[in-house]
Amino acid sequence: MKALFSGNVAADTANGIRAELPSELEVEIVADPKELTAKAAAEADILVTNIWRADYPPAPRVKFVQSVATGIEWIDTAALPRGVPICNAYGHETAIAEYVLMVMLVWSHRFREIESGFRERSSWAPSWVESGAPHGEIRSSTLGIVGLGRVGREVARRAAAFGCRILAANRSPREAGDGVERVFPLAALDEMLPLCDTVAICTAFGPETEGLFDARRLARMKPTAYLVNIARGAIIDEDALYAALRGGTIGGAAIDVWWQYPNAAEPQRRGSRHPFHELPNVVMTPHCSGWTSGMVRRRWDEIAENLRCFVRGETLINVVTTT
Amino acid sequence: MKVLFLGAFAASQFDFIAPVIESSVEIGTLANERDTHALAAALRDTDIVVSDLWRAGMPAAPRLKLLQAPVAGTDMIDRAALPSGVTICNAYGHEIPMAEYAVMAMLVWCHRYFDIAVEFRGGSWRDSGVTNGPLHRELGGLTVGIVGLGQIGRETAARAAALGCHVVAANRTPREGVAGVERVFPLAELDRMLPLCDIVVLCVGLAPETRGLIDARRLALMKRDALLINLGRGPVADEDALYAALRDRSIGGAALDVWYRYPTPEEPSIRPSRHPFHELPNVIMTPHCSAWTEGMARRRGADAARNIDRFIRGGPLMHVVATT
Repeated sequence: MKALFSGNVAADTANGIRAELPSELEVEIVADPKELTAKAAAEADILVTNIWRADYPPAPRVKFVQSVATGIEWIDTAALPRGVPICNAYGHETAIAEYVLMVMLVWSHRFREIESGFRERSSWAPSWVESGAPHGEIRSSTLGIVGLGRVGREVARRAAAFGCRILAANRSPREAGDGVERVFPLAALDEMLPLCDTVAICTAFGPETEGLFDARRLARMKPTAYLVNIARGAIIDEDALYAALRGGTIGGAAIDVWWQYPNAAEPQRRGSRHPFHELPNVVMTPHCSGWTSGMVRRRWDEIAENLRCFVRGETLINVVTTT
Repeated sequence: MKVLFLGAFAASQFDFIAPVIESSVEIGTLANERDTHALAAALRDTDIVVSDLWRAGMPAAPRLKLLQAPVAGTDMIDRAALPSGVTICNAYGHEIPMAEYAVMAMLVWCHRYFDIAVEFRGGSWRDSGVTNGPLHRELGGLTVGIVGLGQIGRETAARAAALGCHVVAANRTPREGVAGVERVFPLAELDRMLPLCDIVVLCVGLAPETRGLIDARRLALMKRDALLINLGRGPVADEDALYAALRDRSIGGAALDVWYRYPTPEEPSIRPSRHPFHELPNVIMTPHCSAWTEGMARRRGADAARNIDRFIRGGPLMHVVATT
């Protein structure tokens, strides 16, 4: 049996888990998909990757696709044989939940402005010794979590320890708990938004979440509200968010996921057609909220386990869809 | 009953305290405590002073019974200069923002947040998952050592534990059953705790036994990639030794909110140390503001007002520091 690890993330995964894979599994690694040969694709029984395009060589023997990411939108299912299960990978929950708490704290405490003012200009103005203007806290602030899945739950648990009031909106009914006071149906999101000091988007991308945050919904948020997106860029309407941030419809945003990504031709491509990088009320990171050593360790463990399951003919974990 | 808000700081906190006092009182304010003429007149019939300071040579205050500090630190109150029979009380509420600050600094450090945000704003995807960039760290799973398990230390411990940290602590007096803390070392055994910690948080005030507590020898006991957070007082960590350790990377980095030098009217933008900490990339630095939140002011104001009400009604006082 042959497993093809395609792409640089998959290549690192292969090197990380090789020793834990069953000996009967033959491993082929192609770090750069441009070097993918017709032979390698044709012989693969298992694909481990985060990208599979229609213009790649045919892979007619593939019976199982293991994604090395959580989102599988870059795997073109039409380019694969029918009836193939696609599994995704987790392990990023801790890292992303920490990111959400971090950006909430940094925003409330005005930590970046105060730090850079003190470092660069020795400004004591925000200090109590100068009786400066006080900053905020996250205690007693209201956090609204959109999407109460694995990431959303981990965010809730941590925010609860800081004394936040926690609301959530979820497509399917979910029980409260983990510090969540109330769960709104996603259809009632409009009721939740005006209550929140912070809104954290933790939902999967799909037809019902694409453009979920449009101009109308952004206008329902508090003018001081902070919007955090760690899910997928296109859940927020790009034009509407830029206008809302520039015009002060909402207070600010922490954006980790984008509407466009770099490619070989444009390695420095901006994440949006709008100049978010010119806005002072935006903190922007390059799709890295989950990109930690802890995530890699947990994800490799999960992927190795799933490959062992497949080789042994056991039930797969994290099946997202079947082609 | 007469209440006097004395000094610029107490005057600045008036709106957080005065409206919350329930008892019927006569309230005065004297922002400039060096106006001895006005001060002498005011103190003649004042029963309660709200202030963070009391100096030697203050005019007579024959009716003074309660000195309510609107802050936690009472180091600017010269107890020997007060008439006898005055109860000094302080106020809390700062432990919450300070605990938030401690965990925030830990997260920013582990996630390399400031560096990554600056790099990306400039247009580089260097740190991205989509470019298979360098990984950063998580806070969960790290060992956090808290020096000083008072209110700030305990609030920090609870939050760090909720984020999945192993929390240990060192405290002068033995403590048991503190939420989230796995083990408490006596302060005398700090040397045994330091090598275990990925992050060390200083939450102790300045006292003879804490001045220079973190010296060159103890810094050398810390892990080479450890983060030191100082929320207590600057001189708890030896200034020269800390600068050298950070410059030479014998520890990983520091988040510093308390300092060795403070601004004066002559030097309002004084650098906070004789060493250029601001030139070190592994230092996160803020101007003694970790506690400085609206929530803190509200909680302290409520504490101070409640104490004034208790004093007037003859109930037991909270947060008694000393009685002269």
